[in-house]
Amino acid sequence: MSLSTRMVAVLTSVGLLSGGFLAGVGLLTKERIALNKQQEIEEKISAVVPGTYSIEKFYEEKDLTVYGGKDKEGKLIGLAIHASGMGFQDKITFMMGTNTSLTKIFSLAILEQTETPGLGAKVDDKKSFLRFWENKDCSSILTLRKPAASSPEELGTSEINTITGATITSEAILNTANSSLERVRQLIKEGKVSSEGQDAN
Amino acid sequence: MPTKTIREEFVKGLWDENPIFRQLLGMCPTLAVTNAVINGFAMGLATSFVLIFSSVVVSSIKKLIPNQVRIASYIVIIATFVTMADRFLAAFFYPISKELGPYVPLIVVNCIILGRQEAFSSKNTVGRSLIDALGMSLGFVLALLILSSIREILGMGTFLGHQVMGSWFKPWIIMVLPPGAFITLGILLAIALQIERKTKSRR
Repeated sequence: MSLSTRMVAVLTSVGLLSGGFLAGVGLLTKERIALNKQQEIEEKISAVVPGTYSIEKFYEEKDLTVYGGKDKEGKLIGLAIHASGMGFQDKITFMMGTNTSLTKIFSLAILEQTETPGLGAKVDDKKSFLRFWENKDCSSILTLRKPAASSPEELGTSEINTITGATITSEAILNTANSSLERVRQLIKEGKVSSEGQDAN
Repeated sequence: MPTKTIREEFVKGLWDENPIFRQLLGMCPTLAVTNAVINGFAMGLATSFVLIFSSVVVSSIKKLIPNQVRIASYIVIIATFVTMADRFLAAFFYPISKELGPYVPLIVVNCIILGRQEAFSSKNTVGRSLIDALGMSLGFVLALLILSSIREILGMGTFLGHQVMGSWFKPWIIMVLPPGAFITLGILLAIALQIERKTKSRR
C-alpha cells in the first residue's frame, strides 16, 4: 500500500470509528441531558414568574418558546419567554418573565451563555446585570443606557443597563428581548398564546 | 528508552515531571477552573479519563498510524474521549457540567494530553503508557486540588462548600477571580522550584 493510501485509510477509519462510538454515547446520554435541561427550564420559569405553581407550554418555534406560569388555582399569572439570540461569542439563551399583558418584565434569568469571562459573562451575574432587568416597563421598546448607570434607580422605566466593556453582549440580549416581546405580542393577537389572566402589579 | 522501572514511570508524574509544577503544561484549565475544589477535582478527573484512555489507544495503534498523520489521528482520538466525558458530565453531573462550561470541550487542546501521546505513548508499550498516564493524571489532579483548595479557602472561606474559616474571616474575593489563580500558581511554582533546588544540591 502506498503511503498516501495508507494515510487516507488510517484517518478515515479513525474518524469512522470515533464517529460511530460517539453516536452510541450520544444516544445513551441524550434523554438524560434533555431531562436535565427541562428541569432547569422549569426552575428558571418559577424564578422569573414569581408564584408559579404549574407551567404550561403555549408556543414553540426556533429560538423562541413561550410558557405560561399559573398559580395554585390554575389562573395564568405571567408569561415566561425562553429566547435565544447571538451574543458576542455564541448564542445566549435566557428566560424572561413578564406579566400576562406584556407590559412589565418581572425579571430575567440566563440559561446558556459562553461570553468572555469577566466581561460578557457578567450577564449571568445578579449584581452587574440581572438586577437592572427587574420590574421594567416593556410596553414600549426597551433601550440601552450607555455609559452604564451604577444603580437601578438611575435608569428610566424601560431603560436597561450596559455592562461596561461588554456592549455587544448587552445589546444582543436587549435586541433579542425586544424582538421576542414583539413576536409574542403578535402571537397573542393570533391567538397562539393565551393572555387571559390577572396582572399582578 | 525504557530504562526506568515501572515504579519510576508512575512516580515521575507526581513530582519530577509533574505536568503543572514542573512541565508547566495545561495552564488554561489550571488557572480557569480552580476557583472551587469541586470544579478543580471534576476537571482533574475528566482530564485524567481522557489522558488515560487516549494513551492506551494511541500506544496500542501506534504502529498502524503513518508518521505524517499522527497528530491528526491523536487529536481525533483525544476529541472522542473528550466528547464522551463532556456528555457524561452533562448527563449525570449537570451542575458541574454547567460550571465547567466550555473548559470540558477545551480538554482536547490541553497540552498535557497531546504532549504525552507525542512524547510517550507513541514510543512506548501499552502497559508503560498506561502507567505513565496514571502518574501524570494523579500529578495533575493533585496539583489542581492544591491550587483549588488554597483558592477556595482564602477566597470563600469554604472547603468543598463547607465553611472552614471562622466568622472572623473576611473572604479574599480576589482569590476566586482570575488574578487569584495567577498569584497562587506563581507562589506555588516558586515553592516547587525552591524545593527542587534544595533536593538537587543535596544529591
